[in-house]
Amino acid sequence: MTIVDTKMKRGDASDGLLGGRLARIDGPAKITGAADYAMEHSPEGMVYAVIVDSTIASGRVVAIDTSAAEAYPGVLVVLTPDNALPIKTATDWTGAPPPAVPYEPLAREITFAGQHIAAVIAETFEQATAAAALVKVTYEETAPISSFDDPRSGEGYPIDMMTKEWGDADAALAIAPVRIEQEYKTPREYNVPIEPHGLIAHWEGDMLTLWEPSQWIDGMSRTYAEWFSIPFENVRMLSPYIGGGFGSKALPTRYGAVAAIAAKMLDRPVKLAITRPQTFTAFGGRPATRQTIALGATREGKLLSIVHRSANETSMDDVAIEPLGSVTSIMYAVPNFSSRQNIVPVNTVKPGALRAPGENPSAFGIECAIDELAYEVGIDPLDIRLLNYAEEDPHAKKPWSTRRLREAYAAGAEAFGWAKRSPSVRSMREGKQLIGYGVAAGTYPVRRTPGEAMVRILSNGTIEVASSGIDMGQGTYTILAQTAAEAIGVPVETVVVKLGDSSLPRAPVAGGSQLANLMTGAVHVAALAARDELIGLAINDPNSPFRDLQANTLTIEGGQMSSPRDAGSSVAIAEVMRRTGRNSIEALRNTLPENLRNKDDHFRNFTTISTMLSPTEGDYSMHSWCVHFVEVRVDVDFGTVRVSRMVSALDSGRLYNPKLAESQWKGGIIMGIGQALLEEGLVDQRNGHVMNNNLGDYLVPTNADIPHLEVISVGIPDTNASILGGKAVGELAIVGVAPAIANAVYHATGIRVRDLPITLEKLI
Amino acid sequence: MSNQTTINLEINGQAHTLAVEPRVTLLDALRDHLELTGTKKGCDQGQCGACTVHVDGERVLSCLTLAVQVEGRAVTTIEGLSDPGAELHPVQSAFLEHDAFQCGYCTPGQIMSAVSCIREGHAGSDDEIREYMSGNLCRCGAYPHIVEAVREAAKVMS
Amino acid sequence: MRDFSYLRAGSVDEALSAAAMPATMLLAGGTTLLDLAKCGVNAPERVVDVTHLKGLDTIRVDAEGAFIGALAKMSRVAADPAILAGFPAVSEALWQAASAQIRNMATIGGNLLQRTRCAYFRDPASFPACNKRVPGSGCSAMEGVNRGHAVLGTSDACIATYPGDLAAALVAFDAVVHLGERKVPIDDFFLLPGTTPHKEHAMQPGEMITTITIPASAAARHSTYLKVRDRQSYEFAAASAAVGIEFEADHETIRDIRIGLGGVATKPWRARAVEDALRGKVVEPETVKSASRLAVEGAVAHGGNHYKIELAPRVVERAILKSGALA
Repeated sequence: MTIVDTKMKRGDASDGLLGGRLARIDGPAKITGAADYAMEHSPEGMVYAVIVDSTIASGRVVAIDTSAAEAYPGVLVVLTPDNALPIKTATDWTGAPPPAVPYEPLAREITFAGQHIAAVIAETFEQATAAAALVKVTYEETAPISSFDDPRSGEGYPIDMMTKEWGDADAALAIAPVRIEQEYKTPREYNVPIEPHGLIAHWEGDMLTLWEPSQWIDGMSRTYAEWFSIPFENVRMLSPYIGGGFGSKALPTRYGAVAAIAAKMLDRPVKLAITRPQTFTAFGGRPATRQTIALGATREGKLLSIVHRSANETSMDDVAIEPLGSVTSIMYAVPNFSSRQNIVPVNTVKPGALRAPGENPSAFGIECAIDELAYEVGIDPLDIRLLNYAEEDPHAKKPWSTRRLREAYAAGAEAFGWAKRSPSVRSMREGKQLIGYGVAAGTYPVRRTPGEAMVRILSNGTIEVASSGIDMGQGTYTILAQTAAEAIGVPVETVVVKLGDSSLPRAPVAGGSQLANLMTGAVHVAALAARDELIGLAINDPNSPFRDLQANTLTIEGGQMSSPRDAGSSVAIAEVMRRTGRNSIEALRNTLPENLRNKDDHFRNFTTISTMLSPTEGDYSMHSWCVHFVEVRVDVDFGTVRVSRMVSALDSGRLYNPKLAESQWKGGIIMGIGQALLEEGLVDQRNGHVMNNNLGDYLVPTNADIPHLEVISVGIPDTNASILGGKAVGELAIVGVAPAIANAVYHATGIRVRDLPITLEKLI
Repeated sequence: MSNQTTINLEINGQAHTLAVEPRVTLLDALRDHLELTGTKKGCDQGQCGACTVHVDGERVLSCLTLAVQVEGRAVTTIEGLSDPGAELHPVQSAFLEHDAFQCGYCTPGQIMSAVSCIREGHAGSDDEIREYMSGNLCRCGAYPHIVEAVREAAKVMS
Repeated sequence: MRDFSYLRAGSVDEALSAAAMPATMLLAGGTTLLDLAKCGVNAPERVVDVTHLKGLDTIRVDAEGAFIGALAKMSRVAADPAILAGFPAVSEALWQAASAQIRNMATIGGNLLQRTRCAYFRDPASFPACNKRVPGSGCSAMEGVNRGHAVLGTSDACIATYPGDLAAALVAFDAVVHLGERKVPIDDFFLLPGTTPHKEHAMQPGEMITTITIPASAAARHSTYLKVRDRQSYEFAAASAAVGIEFEADHETIRDIRIGLGGVATKPWRARAVEDALRGKVVEPETVKSASRLAVEGAVAHGGNHYKIELAPRVVERAILKSGALA
């Protein structure tokens, strides 16, 4: 259990209120090395597991010779499909019931390079690592289809649920005065959090404890319980701090099953940390995508039709959908629209979720295409966006709850100095540097799942907030403390927050930028309930210092209770608790609708995504919005692109803590700069290997790649979107960065790069 | 485990004796043998900087250093940068103030690197800070705030 | 990583006699040895730590030139005022290499001996074929992912790029590698892959680099190192050039010019054709441009690295103009 308190006083008292710029309360632990990340526990008797992966991408394991590995000093067991304890298949994250077949986390049939086929468990990490290299595997290899660039992969198959159509897009396009059509591509991209993945699994009887970095403790715990046919309550998962996830730590993995199997077979705690290269194949990143976008418009640039055809890679044996029409269908007002999507199976690990899955590549397509149209018809790229501004959701035909995109365009353009842009390409230059300005918008939906929280008022006046929700850097610890402090009326320093433990009240996935909104809502509700109970106690308890006041109500401010009738009556909460003899006041509350409060629905709500509402459920269409203005400098000889200046204006609704929200926004922007200029999984087409499976070759931005970034909040509270008025933050800001940079590069050079990343060879 | 050797390490001013194989890296010795888990393993191949510690006062990567190699040298980790309960190091304070981290996993390495960056005299401008902090990757994207923190801490330390 | 025994050498002689034993490797900064041991490329049985040897980390610069002990750390050499004054390209090549942490670990001797970043070379478990690792086994890079691979000095057996920055500067200024008493000019120290890509340098078993000397020259004093890469920092070069120029008394006619290339060749590459074309000429943009094209005479691309043939001359050209402006 990790308890983060706010004893360290920082900044102004007002910082502690919701909306204040309180420094993160888990900060002191993180800057001193005291923060205990999941895999840093060392239970007595712990041993180490190392996974052996397939070196072929397609075929079959014929034989595994484990003799040399087994003979290696310290080796306890070598797991293969033949000797691993059988486990059951679990319910998937959507709640779909599992097939009644065993789940084999170690594979016999190989569908991608890097698939787990064996595991070595030894007394030390060094022994397990060395012995793993001694496992000899014989394969029967078949020719892989390494990517959707391989013609043999074909067109894939359509995903009908992704089809969005209105009007007659083809007919309108055919007669449009201006038509442009281009293909846009994004490569495989990877999450690469700096904390690699893994876990420690420990069995005590039929109780399984897992120390595992997790974006979704309850969902993952359910899977472990089902794998091993034990009650959900028998799984204890601890994930007090998470060293980054970006979508990659939300779902259970094959290596997780292997570690738990090994721990059970050996009756020893097993630590399994995958290697950095394995983080490229043990789970998937963003799939490669391609989109063909045809725009039909008037000569003035008013959109008449959008025809969008897209595809993403998936694995040979599973369905991964990167929703490529998600931004295309809502960004602009267009009377005729058609978007359809295929998925193309190839020999890869099943792709996963990476920051703004869907919206991110979708925006790359449409936001480049609209820029191309602006040049085609000869108007400013910002003006064409205003010309085609969607006043309501053109797909759902519902009003926006809030859409401060117009305000974002204005604020961003002003701060950036967009007006100083010279309209023609290759017209701005300093020495050897071509200068370009680019703009692109982004959006991310408001996702909503009910939440739950426990708020306790303790006898010493401390307020305790508890949830199995997690903090991977978004600031959950901090904003929940602020929420409780404000709702009850206490200084934020008196609040302690407990997170990341499955024994605490339930929480849905920390994904889709939903957690902050649903958890502040749940904590707010629970804190008000606790406050009400405290006030009731103070009014009614015979030993209360307020008993004689005959008050109808009391106020709490700064941790002091007082009667509105008698300002001089103030008494500290702790004193009230002492006088009334109470150890604690507890309020466990959820925000489930009445029809979902039974035990099964409650469980389903937190362990699957089946109750998550779409952004258009209800009367409104709810989304966050942003715009990025970018200045790039391109070396005229070398083709190297550097982002020299950037201003982003964002509408995430109300910010619970602007200091932390700005950090998340900048983080998304920086990841977007990497996506635009550096990041690309390089696949050897002959054998399906991701050749740059490490941080020296899969390039993410360094400090030197990032200029000063200005972010401007233009949001207003949106209480349709969430209880306290916030909208999506974490996934928003990456959306639109890559097209803004690509558009700026075009402005600088006259070269339109439609396949990311924009590396130097594409510009020389 | 036949090949274990007993080594004496001085870490954060304290003497430690431990028995390890020669192939054990300083990083694994800290994390797995000495329970000093503030030093992080991000890549284990010298490409991310999360494992940065000071050896004889200079920043190095503990994942590419053998534990046995630093016998006789002074090792400082994030846990030794400021005494528990005592005042934070100016770089630590600046990181907190400027929100120079999110998930916190690269942070100990960033801080150890930042202390050296300032001591080496490489915090003279924002661009110089950027270049000399580029050996520490941050995937959350705290770079602009790291630059601010280093700039401010350098003022305090001068 | 395979287990090994560890020995701390007390003297150079002790290190050398240990190094003559089979399956033994010398450990200096460790940034290559341990990295490749983790990859499974290196599997020494004995590791001999030379970092505690005294007197091998001296940096001295006099009228003759620079004398750099093999154990001097990259960061110290980069920051040395006399190196900065006499050999700015050497300093610049060093501080633009790797990261501050790695530069505090890696020694000058070890830096020269760093090995290629070829992803096929670095992954023996997945790619048994590698002529550099196992002579005659084949090359996986030739038709594979080879964006970073060499276009100069390649052979049918190997196209792996020599990745270092420092050596590109050293080869420009005729540095000499001292293997104890034996002295080898740096251009001879590094070997072309030919049919024997596993032989990367002229060092024999039982030898170690003790010193590197760089003769003083006016060209070295007026030199620069230009490194082009995808990322602004902490990355190997896509193409780089060390250039030094000495002018005649007229301050515009080139008397001496030295050009070393990095990131594009199988060994540190001396661009002698460009030097020959420019010696006696006036530094003038068109002359420099056409001469720079000669840097990639005979270059061969293998698909993903074709851009290097275009990029390298541009880097040379820019570096010459920059160096010319400095001189």
